[in-house]
Amino acid sequence: MILLRNAKIFDGENLGKTCEDLLLKDGVVARRGTDLSAEGAEVFDLGGKTACPGFIDLHVHFRDPGYEWRENTESGAWAAAEGGFTTVVTMPNTDPAVDDPVTVEYLVARGKRAGASRVLPAGCVSKGRQGKHLAELALMAESGAVFFTDDGAPVSDAKLLKTALLYSRDLDVRIMEHPEEPSLSAKSQVNEGAVSAASGMKGCPASAEVIDIQRGIILSRETDSPIHFTHVSTELGMNAIRQAKKEGLAVTCDVTPHHLSLDETYILVSRFSSAYKVNPPLRTRKDVKALWDAVADGTADAIVTDHAPYHMDDKDVPFQEALSGIASLECAVAVVLDTWAKTGRPVPLERLLELFTSGPAALLSRPWRSLGSLKEGSPADVTVLDLEAIKRVDVNRWKSKARVCPWDGEMLQGWPVMALVEGRVVMNRLKDSE
Amino acid sequence: MEWRHKNLITLEGWTRDELAFFLDQTEYMEELLNRPIKKVPALRGKIVMNCFFENSTRTRASFEIAGKVLSADVINWSSSGSSASKGETLRDTVRTLEAMAADAVVVRHEEVGVPDYLAKKLTKASIFNAGDGTNGHPTQALLDLYTARQKLGNLEGAKMAIIGDVLHSRVARSDMQAFRKMGVHVTLSGPATLMPENTASLGVGYVSDAREAAEGADILYFLRMQRERQEDGLIPSIDEYHRRWGATESLVSLAAPRAVVMHPGPMNRGMEIASSVADGPRSLILDQVRSGVAVRMALLYLCLGGVR
Repeated sequence: MILLRNAKIFDGENLGKTCEDLLLKDGVVARRGTDLSAEGAEVFDLGGKTACPGFIDLHVHFRDPGYEWRENTESGAWAAAEGGFTTVVTMPNTDPAVDDPVTVEYLVARGKRAGASRVLPAGCVSKGRQGKHLAELALMAESGAVFFTDDGAPVSDAKLLKTALLYSRDLDVRIMEHPEEPSLSAKSQVNEGAVSAASGMKGCPASAEVIDIQRGIILSRETDSPIHFTHVSTELGMNAIRQAKKEGLAVTCDVTPHHLSLDETYILVSRFSSAYKVNPPLRTRKDVKALWDAVADGTADAIVTDHAPYHMDDKDVPFQEALSGIASLECAVAVVLDTWAKTGRPVPLERLLELFTSGPAALLSRPWRSLGSLKEGSPADVTVLDLEAIKRVDVNRWKSKARVCPWDGEMLQGWPVMALVEGRVVMNRLKDSE
Repeated sequence: MEWRHKNLITLEGWTRDELAFFLDQTEYMEELLNRPIKKVPALRGKIVMNCFFENSTRTRASFEIAGKVLSADVINWSSSGSSASKGETLRDTVRTLEAMAADAVVVRHEEVGVPDYLAKKLTKASIFNAGDGTNGHPTQALLDLYTARQKLGNLEGAKMAIIGDVLHSRVARSDMQAFRKMGVHVTLSGPATLMPENTASLGVGYVSDAREAAEGADILYFLRMQRERQEDGLIPSIDEYHRRWGATESLVSLAAPRAVVMHPGPMNRGMEIASSVADGPRSLILDQVRSGVAVRMALLYLCLGGVR
C-alpha cells in the first residue's frame, strides 16, 4: 500500500489546481482525496509535483530477440521506468521477427521477469515482415499482442494491408503503419530540402510519407477498420490525417519527441553527427510547427519515443554509414517538456499530458485502456513529474544499453521523478529533485 | 593576417578576407613552382598522410607534389573502397593514424561527412577534405576561384553559370560557396532531375535553359556527367543531354566577350563538353590543374604553421 501525498493530479483529462493524495492498494488506485490516511502505507510526499497516469509509449525498439547487445527486454524495461514510462509497446522488427504467438508470449514473459515497466509486444502484420503473407494475427492477439505493424518499413503491398485491416477489424488490435513509400525514399539519408541540397545526400521527400498515409486512409475507409500512423513527421502527412478525422474515419497517429524538437538544420550545424540520423528524417522548421499544431488541435493522438537503441559501433561512424534511429527513452519526456517550455508553452499542459497517458491508452486493446486514468479502480500506474527540475542528460548513467543521443550533455527542464507500476515503485528520484 | 584555420573541411566558415588572403598566398606558392629548383624547407619534419578511400589521380598527385615541394614527408595511405568494405571501422583507422603521429591527414571518401568525423576524432592533426561524397571538394573550389581570379581579376559582380549534374556534384557545392563569397552571381542550369530540390536555399538561381544561363556569363563552368545517370533514368539519353546542356561553341558564344570555360576534369569529350571548347581559346581547364598544386601548397603551409 502506497500513499502519494500532496500532488497536483492529472487524471487523464483534467489537471487539479490544488494538491490531493492518492492511495494505491492491491495494484489499483484505491482512493483519491485530501488528507487521506492509511495505516501501514508507505508514504511519499510529492510536495506539489504533478501525478499522472503512468506514461505510455506506443513505439519502442528493444532488439529482443536477436540484437540483445543493443538492448534487451530487461534493459529496455528499466530504461522505460527511468524515463517515466510505465508501459511500452515493443516493435516486432527483431530477428526472428515477432510474427507468431510463441514469440509474443516469450516477450510478455521476459517483460514480467524484468520487473520494471509493463512490456506489451506488437506483432508483425506479415510473416517475417516480408510483406507477402499475413501473420497469425488472431493467435498473436490472444497471446498479448497489442498492435500489428511491420514497423521499420511500411506494409508495401496494398492488397496485404487491406487484408490485414479487414482481418484485424474484429480482433480489437490496431494496425500501426510506418508511413513510407519506398520507391521515393530509397537510399535517402536526410530530408529532401535544404540539407539534401547542401550536402548532396539523397533526400526523402514529404511525398514519401503522405502518399502512404493517403493509401492507408483510403483502405481504412474501404474496410471500415481503424489504422494508426506512427512517427508522422510532415505537415502534409498531418493535413491528410486531420482531413480523415474530420470525415469521421478511425484514423489516428503519433509524433516523436525528436520530430517535435529538432529540425534538419541540426545535421548541418552538428557537421553530420550520426546522432541526428533517423527515419523518417528530421524535417523542416515548418514541419515541426505543423506537428505542434497537430498536438494542439487533437490531430496527434500520442507522443511516442521510437526509442532506437544501437551499439556504439552502429552509430560512432560517419553519417552515411550510421544506422537510423535516436535512443531517447530516458530523456524523451524531458525533451518534450523542455521544448514545450522554451517554445512558449504552445498548448495547455493537460493536452501534452494526454498524449503520454489517456491518448495512447485509448489506442491499446481493451484490457489496457484503463491505464490512461487515475480514477478509483484504475491500475496503480503513476508517473510523477517535476516541471521545475533542471537536469543534465547523461547517457553514461542510462539503464539503456544505448549511448548515442542528440541531447547528451544538455540541460533540460521538466523531468519524471517517480514511476509506479501496479502500485510498485520502479523509479524514484524524489530526493534528487528536492 | 593571422591564419586561424587548422583544418579545411568546408569553406563555409571562411570569411571573404580570408579567401582573398589565401589566394594571395597561393600566388607566392605558384612563384615557387616556376623556379628551376622547386623544393623549399617550409614543412620539413612534418608528416602528411594522403588517405584516399576513393579513387583519384589528380587530386592525390596534386596534394603529394604540394607536400613534397614544401619538404613534408608525404605518405600515401593505401586503402581502396570504404572502411566498411575493408572490415575495419573508420574509428579504428583514426586510432592508427593518431598512433602514427600524422601532422596532416588529407582525406577523400565516397561518403558525406567523413572529414568532419575525422576532425572530431583526430585532435592533433590537421584534416583536409579532398572530396567527401556529394558534399564538398573545397580545394577544388579554391583552385577554381584562384584560376578565375588570375584570368578575370576582381570577381565582384561577375556572372557564373554552373551547368550539368549539380545534384551529384561536390565540386558544384563547394564552388557555389566560394564564388558567392567573392561576390559572384551564380546561376545553375541542367535537367531538373539533376538539380537539388531546393536551390534557393543555396543562394543561387536556376534556369532550365542552358542558353539563358550562359547569356552574358563571365564564367561557364561545366560539370562532369556520369553515364550511370542515364541508367538511373534521370536523363533519357546522352545525346539529348549534350544537345541541351553540353558545352558547344554555339552555347559558349552567348557568354560575355571575356568569358572563360572551366571544368573540374576528367572530361567526357563529346558528352558534357565538345573538344573544340575544351581545347579552345577560352578554356582554363589546364590552368585549373596547375593552380591545384599551388593552392594545396598554400593550404598545407598556412594550416600547418610553416616556417616563419
